[in-house]
Amino acid sequence: MSDNLARVSFAVEREKFETPERRPFRIVSSNPRRRARPRIFYALTAVAGMAAIIVAQLLLSVGISQGAYEISSLQSSQSELGRTAAGVSEDLVRVSSPQSLAANAEGLGMVTNSNPVYLRLSDGAVLGAPASASGSQAGAASLVPNALLTGSALLSQLPDDAAATTGAVAITSAPVVPAGLAAPTTR
Amino acid sequence: MSVRNSSARTNPTNTRSSRRRTFFTIVVLFAVIGVFVVRLVDIQVVQADSLTKDSVGNRSVGQVIYGSRGEIVDGNGVVLAGTVMRYNITMSPVNATPFKRTVDGKKVEVSVAEAAAEIGAATGQTGDAILLTISTALEANAKANFAYIAQKVDVDVLRAVQELHIPWTYSENSPSRVYPNGAVAGNLLGFLSGEGVPQAGLESGQDACLASTNGSETYEKGADGVRIPGSSVTSTEAVDGGDVVTTIDSDLQWFVQQTLAARAQETGAAWANAVVQDAKTGKLLAVADYPSVDPNNVGGTENPDDRGSRAFTQSFEPGSTFKALTAASVLDAGVAALDTGVVSPYRYLPSNGANINDSHSHPDQNMTLTGVLIDSSNTGMSKFGEMLTNQQRYDYMKAFGVGTATETGFPREDGGILHPADEWDNQTSYATMFGQGLTTSALQIASIYQTIANDGVRMPVQLVEGCRQADGTLTNVPDAAGTRVLSESAANDTSDVLEMVYQKSWVNSKWNIPGYRVAAKTGTAQMPDGHGGYSNGYLVSVSGFAPADDPQYVVSVSIADPVKLNTSAAPAPVFQEIMSQVLKKYRAVPSGASAPDLPSTW
Repeated sequence: MSDNLARVSFAVEREKFETPERRPFRIVSSNPRRRARPRIFYALTAVAGMAAIIVAQLLLSVGISQGAYEISSLQSSQSELGRTAAGVSEDLVRVSSPQSLAANAEGLGMVTNSNPVYLRLSDGAVLGAPASASGSQAGAASLVPNALLTGSALLSQLPDDAAATTGAVAITSAPVVPAGLAAPTTR
Repeated sequence: MSVRNSSARTNPTNTRSSRRRTFFTIVVLFAVIGVFVVRLVDIQVVQADSLTKDSVGNRSVGQVIYGSRGEIVDGNGVVLAGTVMRYNITMSPVNATPFKRTVDGKKVEVSVAEAAAEIGAATGQTGDAILLTISTALEANAKANFAYIAQKVDVDVLRAVQELHIPWTYSENSPSRVYPNGAVAGNLLGFLSGEGVPQAGLESGQDACLASTNGSETYEKGADGVRIPGSSVTSTEAVDGGDVVTTIDSDLQWFVQQTLAARAQETGAAWANAVVQDAKTGKLLAVADYPSVDPNNVGGTENPDDRGSRAFTQSFEPGSTFKALTAASVLDAGVAALDTGVVSPYRYLPSNGANINDSHSHPDQNMTLTGVLIDSSNTGMSKFGEMLTNQQRYDYMKAFGVGTATETGFPREDGGILHPADEWDNQTSYATMFGQGLTTSALQIASIYQTIANDGVRMPVQLVEGCRQADGTLTNVPDAAGTRVLSESAANDTSDVLEMVYQKSWVNSKWNIPGYRVAAKTGTAQMPDGHGGYSNGYLVSVSGFAPADDPQYVVSVSIADPVKLNTSAAPAPVFQEIMSQVLKKYRAVPSGASAPDLPSTW
């Protein structure tokens, strides 16, 4: 305490000696006003800044979540398209099965001939014994079941309008000759 | 400063209360901070695990990433077995209540019965069946929240159901196996159970290659089901299975199955099988069974024995097709030549007490080995066979692969029964010369003919090329080194004899393939009745190879108990059709030189 008092008196004495004439200046009434103005200004700046940051952040997060919705919808359409692709290629593999091909070939009037004959070009010799195709026993109704083909129609059994709408069918259904096979035109 | 100092000095009571207030504030502040710290430690350390678990359960969604089970493909890359995604339609029975749907801008109430009928129309059930599912589930448990409406439906059905927008229906993924070619090679492929567990065939035998590992993924989603951006994702990659590459040719396999089934039905057979093997490599090009299973519809094949491949799993007494092995052994050992003659009686009573007779009565005949095989004489074969000791013949049989399962590693393969030579009784010693007293599978018979066709070198029977990994490399490639069983000249002599059999046999008109030289032998063996004796049924077979001047393909056909035609005339046309198809399909050049003409008598 004594220490404190000594210092105070010392300070008072210093004031007395060094700044006797400045006193009127120090108690200027305009002083509080000057100080108050910058405080409001700074506070407003800070608040405005914060508001700007908050708005920016909000906008950013809206943007990001908008992207998330877009990603989500694109992903779901991707998976839907993937499902379609898988289903279509499954159909393709199914109709390329031997049972389907054989049944369609027969539906178009084709018969198998398991009697191979070769023509040797070097001397024109015929190798093997030519015999007409009789439709071997493999040409009977399919004895090798395929549950996946249940309910699928043969190309030759499709109605005409269905054949016209699908290009591939239109091509293959053209050579159907009800009364046996036509003789090929050779020149 | 001076002002404050002066006021402090002038008002001591004010100072004291101010200090008290400060002190009080600090204490309160520390108390509040203390409470916060305690709570913080409690949440972050003490309860951390359970809270994390709860939060994950509330916000995050776990989902299985399905690994795809490998494909089984044929030698040309045609898919025989593949994995596709199917969907289970499920529902919450407890929530199955009427709901509102917007139709043309108007809200319409849809009753449960109407909804059930709509679902039924999409899934191919009746609405009543679905109502029954709901009521059954609710009877079992009044708060039942799960029941299947339809399982393993394809994407079209799934979409049809989803478009109904019925709030109490859901769907789940269910990876399934599909066999695009149906019963083609169904006997070899096997099938999976409903839960995806391999049950038979290659699916079971090659499971180590095919099996995949499912992965998982966890992410956080909002109330609308959209993934929260930047939410933590933990995932384990799914590992797809490898592809099994087989040696089978699916087109040929179909033809063989179709031809075999037609003849087996025509002759009223109990079962039948046919094997096509590449003579030079030992690769199986087709292994057909009748009846055979469509793995897409296993339930459609009622007898469980018909769901596998008897060619692998059922051995039988081969009968006369086995005589080719005895003839080859005799020729290879050098104890007889093509011009060696024996006298073949109708009944032969060897000194050891056995009793051998031929299938039909005939006077004593002076026969060469060729004549014995053409007439398929048991007595003549016995006279040739006894030129070797039992042990020598046993050793030859083992070298030909008799009594040992083949190298294919097919599940539950039957290696056949071949007792050691010193356990043969008097009758068995002779019976084993013409294919009785031992059993072989259809594949082992094919392998015997492959050995003869391939200049005496037996190649390992091969069904699988290997396991193709994601990077295209083949692993688990089976050993393809052959073993010499016969000398080249003995093999060629046997081939010539079999070619004479093909030309002179009584079924010649039934198996004639114009333009090609063929070597073949018929067989007719009594079938066991399952009680240690023989039944009235016969197993009739034909085995052979072509072109005989440069053998490339072995075909072996066996038909069991063809009640309408129990002779080799039953399998002979099948052999003819299959062999013709094989020669045509693989563009075998027709034989130029004429067939040998060996004497059958002396």
